[in-house]
Amino acid sequence: MLENISDINTDQLLSVTQQVDLEGYRFVTASCVDNNNGTLDLIYHYDLDGILKQFRLQVTHETVVPSISRIFYAALLVENEIKELFNVNITGIVIDYGGHLLLSKGAPESPMAYPNQITIERR
Amino acid sequence: MPKSVIPFGPQHPVLPEPLQLKLVLQDEKVVEAIPAIGYVHRGLEKLTETKDIQQNIFVVERICGICSFMHALAYCQGIEELMNVQVPDRARYLRVVWGELHRTHSHLLWLGLLADSFGFESLFMQAWRCRERVMDLMEMTAGSRVIISTNTIGGTRRDIDRETLGHIISEVDIIQAELKEFEQVFMYDYTVQHRLRGVGVLTKEDAYKLGAVGPVGRASGLAQDMRSSLRYAAYNELDIEPIVETEGDSYARTMVRIRELHQSADLLHQVYDKIPDGEIAVPVKGFPTGEVISRVEQPRGEVLYYLKANGTKNLERVRVRTPTFANIPPLMHMLPGSLLSDVPVLILCIDPCISCTER
Repeated sequence: MLENISDINTDQLLSVTQQVDLEGYRFVTASCVDNNNGTLDLIYHYDLDGILKQFRLQVTHETVVPSISRIFYAALLVENEIKELFNVNITGIVIDYGGHLLLSKGAPESPMAYPNQITIERR
Repeated sequence: MPKSVIPFGPQHPVLPEPLQLKLVLQDEKVVEAIPAIGYVHRGLEKLTETKDIQQNIFVVERICGICSFMHALAYCQGIEELMNVQVPDRARYLRVVWGELHRTHSHLLWLGLLADSFGFESLFMQAWRCRERVMDLMEMTAGSRVIISTNTIGGTRRDIDRETLGHIISEVDIIQAELKEFEQVFMYDYTVQHRLRGVGVLTKEDAYKLGAVGPVGRASGLAQDMRSSLRYAAYNELDIEPIVETEGDSYARTMVRIRELHQSADLLHQVYDKIPDGEIAVPVKGFPTGEVISRVEQPRGEVLYYLKANGTKNLERVRVRTPTFANIPPLMHMLPGSLLSDVPVLILCIDPCISCTER
């Protein structure tokens, strides 16, 4: 089970991020899970002396999610990745690759998000 | 003064894998660096959703050839935690053996690449010749040199008998003796120091704030090593402290890795003295449920696995954050202010693994 995890909403995201920054936490990464019911879980992982603290933010594809990269610069790559692979509307990333960090022009859009997921063919 | 933008990579003699940096230059000085990745993205996280929990071990091993064992270890430890599996003591020690052999061959490979990056070909060959001994040990104990597939959920798939362990120790002693000869060049050679000292300085505060992991963070003074802070596998019974340097430059990053080679040899000696007899795996039945985070220390730093299971044979999500992915923002911070001629060395100093990054 995930330890030290709290549910937050988009209005709280930047304030809790600033709070963990003030408390001295290190940004580890963020994870995105498509729940296949129209919602996605964004989980932000922070570390302090080996102990993880995590925040879960449930969003839809329409939700505007503010970027935390102005507080934790280290988040810029993972936010771009989540934005293009899962079609999460993250705004204000310090360097926004416009959907082309990993995917080239002409590649399938948001390949990790339902219902657009790429189907891997079995031989 | 006018600025110019030049693409560094994706094909460059110093890069074994494709990575591009768009370098904004003022004369010969870098003022900004924007990374571009995505040339070899394989979608392995997606593939894991279609494979069952056992098959996924072989998928995650193929994320990276250099640290394949650690990927499998992080994955297996996560599933074991979800299923409340107690791994036999001997298997925990065996995991340390293969983990430290992987760290040794990875750091020796990196030392060779670093020497190659500043044109020191004979030093490159010394490091890689030494690394061959580790590859032979891998083949001897696992049957293959790179992707060894010795991890399984509940323990290990292979045992190492006492005689072979003794051979590993004697080989490790030879590796240490050879290392002591050529590490002098990295430590004291005028040209090498000229290329490394004071280049790409990353302060402790910046390293922490930018999320630097592994030798990059430790070279800036961060005492951050998952082996000592999380004490996974058998590290809770071994004497280990993070190797830390404080200068934060490319020389410090090299010194951390050289000292970690000696530390790995010491850990293998400790394992030889302490490894208990007994089973190497326990049978695991059923399927996991729930979410878990699993972290281990790879040669390049902390790797994080987020696993979400739903009680079926397939996992809902396998998310992997590799150390190189975490070390790219620190690299973007190191490059501005450096000379164009230092860029290859600086990129190599984070020991970039693009196959990890583009999992």
